[in-house]
Amino acid sequence: MLDIIKHVHHTPRTLMTAETNALPLSIRDLKFTYRIREQAAIENINLDLHPGELMLVAGASGSGKTTLMRCINGLIPRSYRGKLEGDMRLFGQSLADLTMAELSQQVGTLLQDPERQIVASYVVNEVAFGLENLGLPREEILPRVDEALDYLNIGYLRDRETFSLSGGEKQKVALAGVLAMRPRILILDEPLASLDPASAFEALELFRHLADEGISIMLVEHRVDDVLAIKPDSVFYMENGREMYKGAPDGLMAVADYHRIKLPAEYVLQRARSEAPSVFTPAVGENNGAGPQLLAQFKNVTFRYDKDLPNVLQDVSFDIHTGDIIAILGPNGAGKSTLVKHALGLLKPTSGEVLLQGESTRTKTVAQAAHTVGYVFQNPGQMLFAPTVQEELAFGPKNLRMDAATVTTNVDWAIETVNMEEYRESPPLALSYGQQKRVSIAAILAMRSRLLMMDEPTAGQDYWNYRAFMDSILQMPGFGAVIFITHDVDLALVYANRILLLADGQLAADGPPAKVMADEALLRRCRVLPTSLLHLNLKHLPQTGRLMRAEELAHAIG
Amino acid sequence: MKDSNMWSFGTRQVVYAAIGAALYGVFSWATNFIPLPSVGNVTFRPAVVIPAFFGVAFGPLVGFLAGGIGNVLGDFLSGWGFFWNWSLGNGLMGLIPGLMAASVVSFKDRGTITKAIMYAIGGVVVGMLFASLTEMFTSGIDISTALVGYFTPAAIGNAIVIAVLLPIVMVAYDAVAARSGR
Amino acid sequence: MLVTWKYRPRGTFLDSLDPRSRWITSFLILFAMVPIWHPYVMVGYFCLSMTQFFLSRLTWQETKRVWFFIIFLIVIVIGLNAIITGRGGPGEIQRLEPHVLWERSFNILGATWTPNITVEKIGFGITQMFRMMGTAVLFFIIPWTIDPSKYGVTFSGMGIPYRFAFSMDLAFRFVPTLARDFATTVDSQRARGYEVERLEGGLITQIRRVAPLIVPVVMNAIVNGEDITNAMDLRCFGQDKRTWIGKLQYRTRDYFWIGIGVAVFLGALYLNWGLNLENFFVPTWFYGLFGVVP
Ligand SMILES: Nc1ncnc2c1ncn2[C@@H]1O[C@H](COP(=O)(O)OP(=O)(O)OP(=O)(O)O)[C@@H](O)[C@H]1O
Ligand SMILES: Nc1ncnc2c1ncn2[C@@H]1O[C@H](COP(=O)(O)OP(=O)(O)OP(=O)(O)O)[C@@H](O)[C@H]1O
Ligand SMILES: [Mg+2]
Ligand SMILES: [Mg+2]
Repeated sequence: MLDIIKHVHHTPRTLMTAETNALPLSIRDLKFTYRIREQAAIENINLDLHPGELMLVAGASGSGKTTLMRCINGLIPRSYRGKLEGDMRLFGQSLADLTMAELSQQVGTLLQDPERQIVASYVVNEVAFGLENLGLPREEILPRVDEALDYLNIGYLRDRETFSLSGGEKQKVALAGVLAMRPRILILDEPLASLDPASAFEALELFRHLADEGISIMLVEHRVDDVLAIKPDSVFYMENGREMYKGAPDGLMAVADYHRIKLPAEYVLQRARSEAPSVFTPAVGENNGAGPQLLAQFKNVTFRYDKDLPNVLQDVSFDIHTGDIIAILGPNGAGKSTLVKHALGLLKPTSGEVLLQGESTRTKTVAQAAHTVGYVFQNPGQMLFAPTVQEELAFGPKNLRMDAATVTTNVDWAIETVNMEEYRESPPLALSYGQQKRVSIAAILAMRSRLLMMDEPTAGQDYWNYRAFMDSILQMPGFGAVIFITHDVDLALVYANRILLLADGQLAADGPPAKVMADEALLRRCRVLPTSLLHLNLKHLPQTGRLMRAEELAHAIG
Repeated sequence: MKDSNMWSFGTRQVVYAAIGAALYGVFSWATNFIPLPSVGNVTFRPAVVIPAFFGVAFGPLVGFLAGGIGNVLGDFLSGWGFFWNWSLGNGLMGLIPGLMAASVVSFKDRGTITKAIMYAIGGVVVGMLFASLTEMFTSGIDISTALVGYFTPAAIGNAIVIAVLLPIVMVAYDAVAARSGR
Repeated sequence: MLVTWKYRPRGTFLDSLDPRSRWITSFLILFAMVPIWHPYVMVGYFCLSMTQFFLSRLTWQETKRVWFFIIFLIVIVIGLNAIITGRGGPGEIQRLEPHVLWERSFNILGATWTPNITVEKIGFGITQMFRMMGTAVLFFIIPWTIDPSKYGVTFSGMGIPYRFAFSMDLAFRFVPTLARDFATTVDSQRARGYEVERLEGGLITQIRRVAPLIVPVVMNAIVNGEDITNAMDLRCFGQDKRTWIGKLQYRTRDYFWIGIGVAVFLGALYLNWGLNLENFFVPTWFYGLFGVVP
């Protein structure tokens, strides 16, 4: 392998003296192997970043995107140990020669979850954090904090507690904390993960704007389709730690596998024509033709968390029947999670009623309701505790006091259903995120509930994984109805047969996807943005009669 | 990455000390709402496993701060006020198990777990003894009262909780540690 | 489960002090009292602490929980102390001739145990009560009267290395998040049929039953800690010198407040070694209350 070509400097190591016309970033033959792995996480990476360039870095889960970013921002090799080879230059200077302090004033990094990078209790302190660490005088820090806040138009948040901010606000505050250090390169690692579509789009426009002002940006994102809307200058596409494509965005469509990353629907349509049609037949609500039965009823549900707080749900009424596959859409903070928790009785309505198979949740304990309703929380890490997958899955059935034989049968069935047999004896906490997600679903499946509810089942997983996962759940026999909350419009469009739109705690729409999604004004009011797949579907709706995935559409319209 | 010196205190230790403290504070406070097992006048507070575990996993200083600051936070949240000597005692409950942190190879190894429990119970004894004995000087009780009134119930309750919960938490952490490769 | 800190600004004199002077004076007064057992001095100590309590303008509503707690504890501990030996920490009471008011012998497994109540013990118990109350009141007001966002700067300003001080700030930052995570975990286990309220089985089983609640929260927090560490490293945490933008400044009133602490401390030293007034004694009038002639 190549040795690091040490660049010997005789000038002082400050960046002021760096070659003025050197590229912001240039990487040659980069390779990195984590200390505990045999195989290199990334290999043979070559790239150049120009001033004001917005580069999209794409690739499936595990393809090495985060590892590459860690090499650039210096966490590798300073915090993560392993074998680093190759040459990286920042404005002509070798990265290896810079200290963390010098480096982080040039390269700012925004991580995936703002919740996990905010370190201060108040917004001012958060934005000032980096400058405080550099030991700048107080008189210099405060104006720079205000400047960063004003630049993002969030001056009004200055004295707020960081805990009380919404997801989108948290993200802007975290960004302000990075911008206050005046970086010339910005690294954004999946910054859109937990935002509603409209907030995600606003964030993207902001990144575009930053690039136009001269900051070079590397944006890591699975949602290629969404990022293309802001016209990135270039794309770097990785597979298995290697570069697969580098260049203008258009060229990506030809090389990238549309099964693995989400490309704009038009391209998928073109390319899927030449492939065999995929078969997908949901099994939800199959009851030998007995017709739909009523499973649950929301009757004028109004709810607030505390008598001093405003209503979070306002007069919400709807019924759930067998055979329903319901997607709940709506902006951050609309009350989606709150609504779903009512079905299980985790929350009881302030006024109104929720009936589960005819009985009010007020008269039942949560444990009793759990016989009927299975609720999968968003983050699997928040429920896994057992030393083996098998014990984890047995927890629910045992709580419901099923007898030992039933517990065993149910656990076996659930493990098989999510395809995790080989992990039966593994500790769930040691599994990857996607596997943990499957275990958390299986833990609910093992309780044999009729009604399955999932809060953002696909967040944090790549396109390939979440498609496979949704396909298998919905083709699984045994559920009367499935409800999922999502921010992904395409997910709702492809899988649901009914859509609930929630905005400000009120039900803005309830109906079949083809009807609800056709009303663009309504969608935008609920901060749901139409996607390329939706546009394409609506165009062909008269011909197809319903919404479908792009692959299917390709064959339906011939 | 394992630090060569168990007394070093870098960013990672700053963060885990804070997380341990916040967890200890929150669990102490949350158990105000959850019924706890008790026998006689000994109430079992599951939260005390936190400083011991953070000591074992991240070293003596992290354990000390997790216990010390955590106890302050728990008292602040519950509205018990501030009792400095008990907070220091809780700090010792985390510091002493931390003395074995450097020797941990695997968190699910039986020998390691047994050793951790011994150290943690040693920490309980020293920590609670410290807090009880300082009460002699600040409240003017005599040593047998300090031992019967303060030390014995606190130490017994905490030691039993640790013996039961520390192995569970360590085994769980073993799986998590396997996943992150620093 | 939303957590709330007890602090809110009340516009009092105490609020306007630099937190450092609050800490310094509190500890000066505490240490001043350690060697002293003189009953009248203890009453004085108690009054001093109560003065600070009144300056804080805390209401009974806000603090009744801690008052009940302290009084309960004091009654138990003083009672226990009186029954067991009646001595103070350094053995104060043994120098005095006991005047027994009540005494009884018990035969426990062959050994005789003779608890008694003496005038001295009662007098000592009362002195002890003032001492314990004084100490408790001196410190328990802290969460209500010092802004949680100031602890980091305060400790760093008192010479504690900034990394330790920052841990304190960071811990405050994590509390609401982890309280919410804990609530989420409780909810997700309840969704799996777990009943939080159910206490059943033996002691060990009961303690083990909290594992499904605490293990996920702890492990999740540890996993997230990795990102937090990275985020801090990426913003240069750990340089030699650090600025805190929250500014603390001693003003005249702080020197005055620390002056009080110093005066009490020196005064106590003088009482102790200059005037030899540190020892416990029972005033003659107190014997009179029980019709006993010393
Ligand atoms: N801290 C680590 N220690 C050891 N191996 C790691 C570590 N982080 C990542 N890896 C491994 O390196 C490879 C690349 O992972 P990386 O996180 O860079 O992928 P990614 O493209 O960012 O994936 P995702 O989209 O899921 O975030 C994977 O095989 C992963 O298991
Ligand atoms: N435990 C709680 N106590 C008080 N307020 C809460 C609580 N949980 C949620 N809220 C508030 O209720 C509102 C609705 O929250 P909810 O979590 O139901 O929204 P959501 O639609 O699921 O949002 P997201 O898309 O971000 O998950 C928000 O304003 C939120 O701040
Ligand atoms: Mg990644
Ligand atoms: Mg939600």
